[in-house]
Formats: sequence, structure tokens, C-alpha cells
Amino acid sequence: MRDVVLWLSGATLAFLITAEAFLILANLATAPSEESLTPDKAPGGTGHIVGLKLDTERLASLEPLPDQSLDLAVENESGEQLSDVNVTLIVSSENTTLLDSRYYRQTVEKIPAGGTANVRFRFDLVAPEQPVARPTAATPEPAREILELRATTPEGNSTVRTVILPP
Amino acid sequence: MPFRVALFFVLSITAVLVTGCAHADEEVFIAPLAPAAGRVDPGLGPGTRALSSGPGYKGSPSWSPEGDRIAFTVDGYVVDRPTGSGDSRRWTTRDFIAEDTEWVSEDTLMILGAASAPTSRMEERSLYVARAGEDSLALERVGKGVLAIGPDGEGLIFALGSDTHESRLALTRGGGDVNKLYSGPIEGRVGALSLSPDGEEAVLAVRPQGDHEISSLRVFDLREGEGREITRLDGDQEILGTPQWTEQGIYFVAGKKSTSIDSDGSEPLYDIYHVPKEGGAPDFAPGVGEDFVAASIRVSPDGRRLAVIGRLNPKSPTNLYVLDPSAKDLTAVTTNEDMEIKTGPDDLAWSPGGDSVAVIARSIPSTKPEVRTEPADRLLKDFYNLYEIPVGGSEEIPR
Repeated sequence: MRDVVLWLSGATLAFLITAEAFLILANLATAPSEESLTPDKAPGGTGHIVGLKLDTERLASLEPLPDQSLDLAVENESGEQLSDVNVTLIVSSENTTLLDSRYYRQTVEKIPAGGTANVRFRFDLVAPEQPVARPTAATPEPAREILELRATTPEGNSTVRTVILPP
Repeated sequence: MPFRVALFFVLSITAVLVTGCAHADEEVFIAPLAPAAGRVDPGLGPGTRALSSGPGYKGSPSWSPEGDRIAFTVDGYVVDRPTGSGDSRRWTTRDFIAEDTEWVSEDTLMILGAASAPTSRMEERSLYVARAGEDSLALERVGKGVLAIGPDGEGLIFALGSDTHESRLALTRGGGDVNKLYSGPIEGRVGALSLSPDGEEAVLAVRPQGDHEISSLRVFDLREGEGREITRLDGDQEILGTPQWTEQGIYFVAGKKSTSIDSDGSEPLYDIYHVPKEGGAPDFAPGVGEDFVAASIRVSPDGRRLAVIGRLNPKSPTNLYVLDPSAKDLTAVTTNEDMEIKTGPDDLAWSPGGDSVAVIARSIPSTKPEVRTEPADRLLKDFYNLYEIPVGGSEEIPR
């Protein structure tokens, strides 16, 4: 009886040692490729911690004049209070030869969890003059103005809204 | 002793379970590819790939000889970028106004344009050579008064204008010099040119002296240095863009001259014509329907197919087609109804392998403000951008 138990234990031990060896080898082979998968940062922010809501009717009433205003709501979509949220507005032209983008920035000190903060930007929306006369073949259409709004938390989470205004 | 054996047995099973069931690493979230770096569906068919993104009026795409980069104009200046992923590289300053670009080697670009706004379209354009390197914005002028350019196997053939309504052809191999000036004069001003499949002849669209339109088609033998007219259009017809030399003869787009949109709101209607290289009266291109409205054509690298941008009829949306001249068959590559494909004469280009075509397209602009959830430089459909559209390789035709 004792011999039978010893024989069975020895066979089981040999099987387990072999299985263990194969498992260790399998894990060694797959570990590096998993570690090499570095994800890209998702465009326009991650996690939807902050949201941006625009007044579309107000957008439609913007005119290519100085001193335009735009209200937007910055929403805290996280479960915690947010502090020092940077809100930026970049006004630029569809014509990439025009390098007079205008930058505006405001900081929202606190947004309670699930709450909203209202931000008003006053900005110039004047189509810049061409620095040199360009032939119609290069830019045959009137360029559209682009508003790029971004809310960013100190931790780097951000949300972007890009508005393309018709000429 | 039985207790020790049992303990060892239990520990071994535990070790196997721990090793086998444990994850080697935490799960990693893999974000989707950036739009400009992979396949997208902008409405131009499956397999379409974006080659650019963001604002800017883009034009004149040109693939590098190995097909790994593509150059194009943006609001007049020149950039190139990898056809895979990677950043753009600027070749000219933003005040430069380029009209056409062609590669002559993997790191050398020939640029037809002007350093500032030309006062006269025909007189002030020059041909420049630009080389990739530390000072990539430096241009070297090869020739002044250049009318048109066409890539050649050894370099670039270009047409030079003169005051006497004559043109001449010249060859540069990209070294910054004119390597050969062909002595035979060409009557009239060359508007566009391209080479035959064997590279030994050129076909020229010419505005004859005293004519207001580009109405004459000429061939020029680069070995003999002589040319001749093969056809001339009657009335106020004009040749649009660059004539293309296929293995089945010469094709070109032509129609009634119209400087603006017609009074009924429709755009001018152009047709594709065919003429044998020996010359004669042009015929409508075989295989193309009577109602087809052509905008631009480009011959494939092997000379056997024509990429065509046009509309099946005046009310159809613009799409990309491939014409097989030997089979007289026009095949729709895209069946898009929502995108505006750009119809400029130089706004399409075959990849060097002949398996895809680059076009420029955007969605139809809205008259209301559009709100997007991505930064402007990542947007595709809202602005004219480049797309690589697979067209399949040509089947081997026994000779």
C-alpha cells in the first residue's frame, strides 16, 4: 500500500513540475509584447471629466466684427469638485497662411461635483487682411473662421469643441 | 511521511494555479488610431485612407518615387508628409505661391511657382528645386518664365516661354541646372505637358499665337528635338488641364470656354477626347458615356489606365472613375454622394505602384456653424484633405 502511495505521489509530482515549467515558459514569452502596447492619448481629453456646452443660436449670430461675445457652460462630469479649470479660446482662420491666431483664457476656480460654471468670452472676430495679394488659384474661396474651445483640469483632462463658422 | 507528501502535493497545486491564472501585466487600453494615420470612412468607399487633416486649401498632390511620402500645396505653400503616420514637413515659406510640385528623387522636389504674388500669370513663374535637409526652406531657381512641368524618368521636362509667342522645352535632372535645352521651337505658349509612357515624347497643350484659348495639341519628339501639331479645336473650345499619353493614344479634357458659372447656375461641361498620336480629329473617348462631365484625368504609371474625376451626368455627384482604354470600360471607384471631390486639373495623382489614387475632398460646407469634438488640426471632412483611394492593380496584359 505504501509503495502504491509513493508511486502515485511521485507520478503526480513529476506531472506538476512539468506543467509548472511550461506555464513559466509561456508567461515569459508573452510578457514583453503586452508591455510594449503603449496606448495613444485619446484626442480631446480623457474620461469626460469636464464638458463644454455651447449656445448654438449665439454661434449663428456671431458677426465678423470686433468685440463679439460667446457664453459657454463648463460642466463637471466627475464625482468630485474641480478646481482651477482652464478654459481657452483660440480664434483662427481656415487660411493657414494667416498667422494671427488670437488666444483668450479664463480660469474657473471651483465647479462642484455634477455642477456647471458659466464662462463668457469677449473676442475679436475680424477677418484678417491678407499680408500679400494671393492669386485665386492658391485660395480661391473666402476662408472660414475657426473657434477652438478647450477646458482643461490641472490634472490634464481636457475637452475640446471646434466651431467652424461659415463665411 | 504521508503528511509531508500531502503537504507537498497541496503546495505544488497551489503554485501551478497561482502561476497559471495570474496576469503577466495589467490590462492596457488601446486607443483607436488617429484619423490621419489609418483607414477612415469619409464616404469615399472602403479602404480609403486620409493622408492629411486640418484646415488649409490643399492641392496638387504628388507621390514620392517610392510612394512613402506625398507632397502637396496648402494655401499656396508646399508641404509633404509620410503616407503612413508622421509629421508634415514644410518645403517653402508661407508667402510662396506654388502651383505644381513633382518629385525627381526621394529627397528632391521640383516646385513651379513664385516667391510672391505674380503680376502676370505667364511671365513670373519660375521653377525651383528644393532638397530635404537642414535648411529645407531654401529654394534654388532652375529657370524663369516657366510655363509648365512634367515628370520624366530622368528628371523633369519643363516648358519655357518667350516674348515671341514661342515656347521651348528643357530638361533638368534635379541638380539645379538646365541639363538640356531643346532647340526646336514650339509655336505658341505651352499650357500643360506630360510625357509618353516610354518617356521619349511629350504631349503639349498649347495656346496658338493669336488665339485666346489653349486649343492646340502638339507632340514633341525629345530624341529628335522636333514637334508637330496633331489636332486643334474649333471655335471657342479649350483644353482643360494636362493631356495624358496612354498606350492607346492621347486623351484630354476639353469643352466650351466659360469663365464663370453659366446663367442657369450650372458649371461648364467638359468631355474626354481621344486622338491617336499620329494626329487627326479628336473623338469622344470610347467607353465614356455621352452625358459624362469630365473634370480631370491622369494616366497610370504603366500607361494602361486613366483616373478620371467627373460626373456621370450634369446632375450626378462628382466621383473617381478608372477608364481602361483598351477595354473601353469606365469603372466607378467611388460612389460618393456627400463629399465634394476637388476638380482642379492637378488635384489627383496615382501612387507609383498604380494601386491607388490620391484625391482631395471635403464634405459639403454648411451655411450654419458646425461644432466638432476634435481639435481643428485633426478634423478631416470639414476641410479639403487628401485621401488615398485603392483602385486595384492593373491586370497583366500580354504584349
